[in-house]
Amino acid sequence: MSEQAIVGTNAPRVDVRDKATGQAQYAADIQLPGMLYGKVVRCWEHAHARVKRLDLSAAAASPGVVRVIGPKDVTPKRYNSSVLDLMVSESMHDMLGDIDDQPIFTEHVKFQGDAICGIIARSEEAAERAAAKIVVEYEPLPVYLTAEASRAPGAVQFTPEKPGNLAFQLPEPMFPNHALGGGDVEGAMRDADIVVEDAFYVPKQKQCQMEPHAYVAKVDSGGRLTCWTSSQMPKLVQRKLAKLFDLPMNLVKIVPTVIGGGFGTRLGMISEPQACAMALAVPGHPVKLQTLREEDWVISPSRHPGKYWMKIGFKRDGTPVACDARFENYKGGYYLDASGTAFTAGAWLGGMYRFPTLRYRGESYFTNQGLTGAYRGYGNPQTNFVLEQLIDRGCAELGADPVEWRKKWHKGVGDDGWCPGVTYPSCALDQCLDRGAAAIGWTEKRRKYARQEGTIRRGVGVAVMNHTSGAMPMLLEHTACTVKLNEDATAEILFACSDMGQGSHTALKQIAAETLGFPFDHVQLSGGTSDVAGFDIGAHASRTIYVGGAAVKKACEEARRQLLERASLQLGVPADQLDIRDKRIFVKADPARGIEAEAITRAGVYHFVDPMTGEPGGVPGQIQGYVSFFAPHNSPPFGASFAEVEVDTETGEVRVIELVNAHDIGRAINPAAVEGQLEGGIQQGLGFVLSEEIDYDAKGRVQNNSFTDYKMFGPEDMPRITTILVEDADPIGPFGAKSVGESGLVSPVGAVANAIFHAIGIQFTEAPITPEKVLKGILEKGVRDYASIRGNR
Amino acid sequence: MSSRTLPEFDLLLPQSIPEAVELLATHGGRITVMAGGTDVMVALKFSQQPAQLPEYVMSLEYVPGLAYVLYDPAKGLRVGAKATVADLLESPDVKQHYRSLWDAAQVFATGQVRNTATVLGNLLRASPAGDCSCAIYAIGGTVAFQGRAGRREVDIDDFWISYGQTARQPDELAVELVLPPPAAGTHSAFRRLTRTSEDLAKLNVAVQLRMSGETCVEARVAMGCVAPTPLRLKQTEAQLCGKALTAEVLERAAAAVAGEISPIDDKRSTAEYRRQVSGVLLRRTIRQACGVA
Amino acid sequence: MKDRNITLHINGEAHSLTVTVNRTLLDVLRDELGMTETKYGCGTGECGACTVLVEGKAVNSCLTLAATMDGKRITTVAGLSDFGRLDHIQQAFVDEAAIQCGYCTPGMVMKTASLLAKNPDPSEAEIRHALEGNICRCTGYEKIVKAVKKAAQTMPGRAAAVEPCKEAVQ
Repeated sequence: MSEQAIVGTNAPRVDVRDKATGQAQYAADIQLPGMLYGKVVRCWEHAHARVKRLDLSAAAASPGVVRVIGPKDVTPKRYNSSVLDLMVSESMHDMLGDIDDQPIFTEHVKFQGDAICGIIARSEEAAERAAAKIVVEYEPLPVYLTAEASRAPGAVQFTPEKPGNLAFQLPEPMFPNHALGGGDVEGAMRDADIVVEDAFYVPKQKQCQMEPHAYVAKVDSGGRLTCWTSSQMPKLVQRKLAKLFDLPMNLVKIVPTVIGGGFGTRLGMISEPQACAMALAVPGHPVKLQTLREEDWVISPSRHPGKYWMKIGFKRDGTPVACDARFENYKGGYYLDASGTAFTAGAWLGGMYRFPTLRYRGESYFTNQGLTGAYRGYGNPQTNFVLEQLIDRGCAELGADPVEWRKKWHKGVGDDGWCPGVTYPSCALDQCLDRGAAAIGWTEKRRKYARQEGTIRRGVGVAVMNHTSGAMPMLLEHTACTVKLNEDATAEILFACSDMGQGSHTALKQIAAETLGFPFDHVQLSGGTSDVAGFDIGAHASRTIYVGGAAVKKACEEARRQLLERASLQLGVPADQLDIRDKRIFVKADPARGIEAEAITRAGVYHFVDPMTGEPGGVPGQIQGYVSFFAPHNSPPFGASFAEVEVDTETGEVRVIELVNAHDIGRAINPAAVEGQLEGGIQQGLGFVLSEEIDYDAKGRVQNNSFTDYKMFGPEDMPRITTILVEDADPIGPFGAKSVGESGLVSPVGAVANAIFHAIGIQFTEAPITPEKVLKGILEKGVRDYASIRGNR
Repeated sequence: MSSRTLPEFDLLLPQSIPEAVELLATHGGRITVMAGGTDVMVALKFSQQPAQLPEYVMSLEYVPGLAYVLYDPAKGLRVGAKATVADLLESPDVKQHYRSLWDAAQVFATGQVRNTATVLGNLLRASPAGDCSCAIYAIGGTVAFQGRAGRREVDIDDFWISYGQTARQPDELAVELVLPPPAAGTHSAFRRLTRTSEDLAKLNVAVQLRMSGETCVEARVAMGCVAPTPLRLKQTEAQLCGKALTAEVLERAAAAVAGEISPIDDKRSTAEYRRQVSGVLLRRTIRQACGVA
Repeated sequence: MKDRNITLHINGEAHSLTVTVNRTLLDVLRDELGMTETKYGCGTGECGACTVLVEGKAVNSCLTLAATMDGKRITTVAGLSDFGRLDHIQQAFVDEAAIQCGYCTPGMVMKTASLLAKNPDPSEAEIRHALEGNICRCTGYEKIVKAVKKAAQTMPGRAAAVEPCKEAVQ
């Protein structure tokens, strides 16, 4: 379909040979001379307490211990481990207020796992044994696990900045009446013929990236702090650490390590402040801080759980007239990105269907649950679970086909996307729906399963989604990129955005090679350390290819422009009549005429003046392309998922038989990598809707912080998967590409819930939909044929 | 301590059964015995109280002659203390004569754990959720202990005392499991419910039936995750014995199960759900044993 | 005795060392021998990132006491490749795009090696059953299953080794 030679191919991943042989170095694999080992002592007994007494002496005397540091030994400054504050404009920042509420070591424990003090020892084991000797006395405080509890009058205030423990609600100046949307929702709802409404609960899901967080930090003799971290956002972490420790940014160096999975958990910082505080206590010695799985579980932010109300009104002909929604999510003990999901859950809602009136209110309340923050999908699976089930309830009442209804009413080109005023430049959702429906056998199966008998019932369901490619215009979208041409006409690219394993660096290399007209293997792309790489906000919001790829493309275009200009002088042909392929520059109209790129790049670097004639040998100077790029748009991707399930009506067990994921991704730069994103997303989406949830006891202690107790879909649980890449080039994205990193997870959620509805005629308002809930629903409501529901009769 | 660090202990590495027995006689209750170690290691890593910590860990790694799975049509199956769950799966005799046990072994934990975890270890763990334990309980058999005073055999019916506790005395080494040879007309089956394929059971059931024509002349039924230890459902067995296993008989037996069990809420399921599905799982397991899908 | 002298035969090379008896094989490999290709993922035998072969069998090195491994042959993922040349399993994982973040990969590859040694021609159901115990959070297992199939097809000397598989997985 394309004229491109490299973009659109399954170019070999740049990082996988090292990963296949075990040579890839993750943070925990780093060994440095003189290395010491850190351990953060955490509060495991309480989720809410004050530290009455802290005695470090016995631990300090423990064998192998070098230093023990508590709250008084570190900066009293507070920080926010998330990074939203660095990504918003000053006026928006003012709306958020003071959101730096995390101390390095706390005297007010706000969640189980809060950091109390740190131990630096000669081995990890010695540090762990010393940790057991720390004496802490706590004064327990009331534990608030829900918004209802923490906003109750008289509740302990988490921070004076946020009265009522309301961490965030949509701010009035930007969102009148604290609501996103517009129009007379109540009036429109009164005029509706059919209204569907329910209160839902969405679960707290864990990213479960396979590499537990680990760090190395070191202060050198010049006072420079270096931190090896697998953060998704090295440049923002550099600024955060500089600010926290009062260092100029040139004295803080971030070395990004190979990332063992992110899914949002590495957005911003987790234990970098503690690792660096320890390094500052033992200058000259690197300190390695490795977290344990059970520790990683409680200290890294998870998906926002909470209550989600929604009400949708339709005219009898199916026209949607109003949507009213409210998402009340439970933060953990600290703010982090409380503004994020509370907003985006509504943004995805607003971006999906052409509701003439819409009111969405999003609120975040502090609780004593573990921290919540970024998780792949960022509010989208929550909205998908609620919105897509209510749409199907409406379709059942209306007697409408869920695919046809969606095709008629989803937003498309020219409509406002998730951000009002930013319209969709492309949308191939109809194609996704058509091709997905054909792949799963929609029409036939919908008819067949509408009337069934027996213990085992089948159903098929559909759900759609929209997402984003980068967070413009809400958040900063800035990427700097440098491409340097070596004397042998190979290219080296510096680009600070991390590859979390999704293959972004491979795809970016493809974009670069394609743009330059160089072979794939003659281009190198490196994330670089913070002191050499230019600015980049990091890998989040599915932005790396759409924004980063555009930056790489622009930088390469600049290098290419210089190359062609020099060739033009040599060939005596205007630059716009030249092209490059396989490092050979040629005249488009006369391809036999040309010059090797290497002749130009070599002459630029090894530049001499002929001693006999005084003539310069070509144009001097090494060619470099540089761009400081700000994304002009966010070209949202769309997707449709189709699920076929089997429900055992005697046990409530749900088996997903097939999952078709059809996604409008604009253009697949590396199709295998794109498929990998969508397939991996399915596994997490199925977990959200069917099996995954972090549980707390009444005291706020997590009950399932292990893979023994928290169950994800394994290889035998996964359904048959069909991935359909709908390639309809976006007019803005690089080579037409839109994002894919988060999308795959989202619509399987609604599709599975709707397939269950189709199979047994019951909807479930609490995720995950476990066999326990299904059986309860069946015993209370009885299995009923989908065909017997009002609108279908 | 944590998922990475073990507490301090002395390691005992006997080279023979008599040496192991002597060590147990000397140090008794201060020893934790480790064969495959898949349970013991996790328990040690997360032991919180100093009282839970053993002074010694005795590994059977270098004790020879205990890794057998031997079948004799007259005497039945002998499973040595170091025979792993994977060893069961490799035995065609187990698959042919003790199908319920083979099926339980097949879904037991993960491949790595099956390669290491021992069958006797699963019994000695005395967890109500053990899949092999459940299957073995329904088959019946004896566990042999070796002490300084000699060999002692305990019927599996008397083996589990309470959660985590068995009939093994601190100075005894569990050396062997013996399962009787199946009589003619014996059918067995095992089923379980889990959250995901790889999981501890939220409910498991094993049955062993001896059929004479259409009539069930002997029945053993075991259920897991419904009491502090694996549970034999004797009332249910009585409901089946002497009857043709018609749909009505199975329904009556299934309906009676809930009265015989005392499940609790835990991380994997609820007491209510376990009651609700216990009869369903029993009925399905009996039908499977009888070869009716 | 709190320390023991042991010899581990790792990837064909003998390593004699003194270990504290409460150290896991995983920690000895990583911290004392610097063989960081084997990963810590959970420490409880659930995730499989620490999988190595002991005498050809896949085990969780996080649940194995190093002191009980005296004289044993141990294979890690680094033992499969030869100075940068990937073996057929590693190559299949690369070719099928079965590697994303890569943290589970060493364990996945070792699990595949143990499966194919016993069953050179596994069905898809057998592959999926064998991979339980090795958690991947990136791929949805789709491409990993394909990689294992490809590894089976490209196994050196395959034609001679393949015989009908003995046990069907339920």
